[in-house]
Amino acid sequence: MSPPTGAIPVIVRILSTVGGAVGAAIVLAVVVAAVFAPFVATHDPDAINVFQRFADPSSAHWLGTDQLGRDLYSRLVHGATVAMAVALAAIGMALTIGTLLGIAAALVTARIERFILILFDIIASFPSLVLALAVVAVFGPSTVLVVIIVGVTLIPHFGRVARAQVLTLKNAPFIEAERLLGASTLRIVFRHFMPNIAGPLVVLASMDIPVVITIEAGLSFLGLGVRPPLASWGGLIYDGYSFLSDSKIPVIISSAALGLATLGFTLFGEALRDAVDPRLNRDP
Amino acid sequence: MMGGTAGYLASRLVTTVLIVFGAMLLLFSLSVIVPGDPATALIGPQATAAYKAQVIAEMGLDQPVHIRLVRFFSAVLAGDLGTDALTGRRVATVVGSVLPYTFLLTFLAIGLAVLIGVPLGCFAATNRGSVFDHVLAFISVAFIAIPSFVIAIFLLLIFTIWLDWLPVLGTGTAGDFVDQAKRTILPTVALALGWIGFIARLVRSSMLEVMGEPHIRTMRAYGIAPWLITYKYALKNAAIPTIAILGMGVGRLLGGAVLVEIVFARPGLGRLIYDAISARNYPVLQGAVLVVVLVFVITNLIVDLSYSAIDPRIRTQAGREALPR
Amino acid sequence: MNPLVTIRGLCVDAATSAGTAHLLRGVDLDIGRGRIVGVVGESGSGKTTLASALLRLLPANISRISGEIRFDGEDLLTLDSAAMSALRGTRIAMIFQDPMTALNPLFTIGTHLVDVQQRGTAGLSRRDALTRAEAMLTTVGIPDPKRRLSAYPHQLSGGMRQRVMIAMALLVEPDLLLADEPTTALDATVEAQIVQLLSDLRKDFAGSILFISHHLGLVAELCDDLCVMYAGTVVETGPVAEVLAQPKHPYTAALLACEIDDGDTGRLTSIAGEVPSALSTPPGCVFASRCSHRVPLCDHAPPPFEQLGTRGTACLRHRDLAS
Repeated sequence: MSPPTGAIPVIVRILSTVGGAVGAAIVLAVVVAAVFAPFVATHDPDAINVFQRFADPSSAHWLGTDQLGRDLYSRLVHGATVAMAVALAAIGMALTIGTLLGIAAALVTARIERFILILFDIIASFPSLVLALAVVAVFGPSTVLVVIIVGVTLIPHFGRVARAQVLTLKNAPFIEAERLLGASTLRIVFRHFMPNIAGPLVVLASMDIPVVITIEAGLSFLGLGVRPPLASWGGLIYDGYSFLSDSKIPVIISSAALGLATLGFTLFGEALRDAVDPRLNRDP
Repeated sequence: MMGGTAGYLASRLVTTVLIVFGAMLLLFSLSVIVPGDPATALIGPQATAAYKAQVIAEMGLDQPVHIRLVRFFSAVLAGDLGTDALTGRRVATVVGSVLPYTFLLTFLAIGLAVLIGVPLGCFAATNRGSVFDHVLAFISVAFIAIPSFVIAIFLLLIFTIWLDWLPVLGTGTAGDFVDQAKRTILPTVALALGWIGFIARLVRSSMLEVMGEPHIRTMRAYGIAPWLITYKYALKNAAIPTIAILGMGVGRLLGGAVLVEIVFARPGLGRLIYDAISARNYPVLQGAVLVVVLVFVITNLIVDLSYSAIDPRIRTQAGREALPR
Repeated sequence: MNPLVTIRGLCVDAATSAGTAHLLRGVDLDIGRGRIVGVVGESGSGKTTLASALLRLLPANISRISGEIRFDGEDLLTLDSAAMSALRGTRIAMIFQDPMTALNPLFTIGTHLVDVQQRGTAGLSRRDALTRAEAMLTTVGIPDPKRRLSAYPHQLSGGMRQRVMIAMALLVEPDLLLADEPTTALDATVEAQIVQLLSDLRKDFAGSILFISHHLGLVAELCDDLCVMYAGTVVETGPVAEVLAQPKHPYTAALLACEIDDGDTGRLTSIAGEVPSALSTPPGCVFASRCSHRVPLCDHAPPPFEQLGTRGTACLRHRDLAS
């Protein structure tokens, strides 16, 4: 079967599987919450109400309140904004730099290729969370740092795929023909390589979203990522976990929200991969 | 053929050494660009100028950068990871004292994951499309997708707080093996669940791939028993990509272990790094991170060697480019 | 003496994304005891499907198998899978087209050869199996067989690997050996060596061989009987010498002409036109669209397969053709 090319067939294929449909629904919910947080939220996420600490879920507070009486639902919604912003920024950065390095590795001299590959190896060898910890220890916790660290650790991911794709394309007859006709390298890169490697890279990017969310949440859980009072999922879990003896509801709800979000993005990413690249889900 | 093996080994070793050097360089650079300087960070801004100068001299921070770089590298190569800024103990000793906890946890987790994941994957592959296959597929994705510290929190809520079956926090009373073992169960499971799903999926897809290969058809054509085909001939082929990916996953596993250790308040590298950050104890942090990187590259080297032991073709190839990811 | 294998009306369909493909459209074929039957035809004519059907190792997308395959009187298509499996690697063995991929790269030649024997002979020790394997490697012309037993497939050349496959097949002493284009993937010189080996082995091998090839010359050299296939049907059968001397089907004649032209001028004459798609069913003779002897009647109904003594053909005009 030929791979679907347009956006509509890809969407249809994603929604036609249970996992894809569930994933797409969760992704949609998270994205809407992230983009329209002020409208989706019912309260100011930072409004403290000491008389309403650890309130049970009710019509006023859908998911209850935290140790400062803040509305947990609204904080989760605003946490989605932070998570998505971090994911977008980090993946955007990794995608851009990784693709450029990957193409460079495939096209320029063997020595530079070797250098870039070793660089990728080194970055990939750093367990990313531990790298993040080392950097945070030096510069102190910050959201921007989280983005940069996570972005850097994902560079090899995109770079290797971009390089592999270009290597297989490099000697394709139609590229040779272009070259013989005098096309510049830049023209070939943008006219031919970019469109051809975009698909796999977009799939990779979507599959990296839950990875970034997990790292961001992990760092914030340790108090080393997004700083309070800014609401982040990892921070909410930490707060809930710290006050476990007072109420179990906040930690359960915020952990479940994070788990559901990463599960949703993973299901969606895998459905997207299968829909875009039928080779990967073919019947062996 | 021996020459090929040696060449392959040499190229892997060179890459490994470069990676460790790169890591060291990065850690060193970080120590140089610490805002303010590590001494102030350590003793606080209120310290007297004389005391500060003394600390700076003790830490060797008054030397030019290139001298510090050379000192750092030669010290690390001699096995000296520096001195704990707070207690004055050797960093190597400090890290060495907590390393066994983290090793125990990660090895137990990976062992559990292989022990359960491999048979599950094989069974799913040989019963493709069955109810079991579908259920496993869903559970695997869930376990892979949900962060291990979230799993850890839920395990703690369920088995300790609600059911009150297992004590969790800490490693247990020294000398009380049963208590220690009980407290190791939940962290191990929390860390292993994702890997069980991961390995099961990996083995399943590798097995399906291998099962379609001509050499498996040869075995079928000669009436070799299905269990022999699956567990002798196909599994060995499927093991190669599985081991390769497992090796690359060790980094993620260590990251997960850090968080799980903190959730369960267990001593270990995670706790050490976390405390070092809180106390701005850069030498300890540096040493601990370096050890994590070392563990990681050594594991990868072992993985490389192990699949060259499994696959006779690799012994004559250089590099791992030809292997599936 | 009745033939070892009697195939009657064998049809095999496969479900593809484009529709149902008719891989075999009613094949009739006998394989005599101790005979080497050569099956020739272009790719896609159903040769490999025929061999796979004999082992009942067809791809998963097969939607229908009908007709009968009598092996020593027993219909293979009605056997349960355990009984069928019991025949594989004992009474029926197979040599595959690509020796480069037919052996598991992670196991030694010795392991392959031992497992194949132990499956057929209960209680055979590994040591005895290795001794037999070593002797058989010598028989198939592999030098230094003891060392080869501990070698991995990638350490042997293609020709050597095919010799190993032949040794594997002979070790189980089958009644029927299926050889599916065993030389196609090899160099011309190696091909000649393997063909020489097969014809040398004939003296010691009592079983029948189904030798599949797209190379008429090779079949002429090696085989006793010839079976010409076209688009999932058998168009002509008979003793090799007779068929080649006087083909009774226009397709055989055309095939022969291609082969001769090829030899004389180095230029390949191909038969004009295209093989009908496996997805469609022509109302009449499957070869009609390319046949230079076509008459209107050819398009009305598939020509019956006529058996005339040792010869058989599926052409309405075979009598006209002879003159």
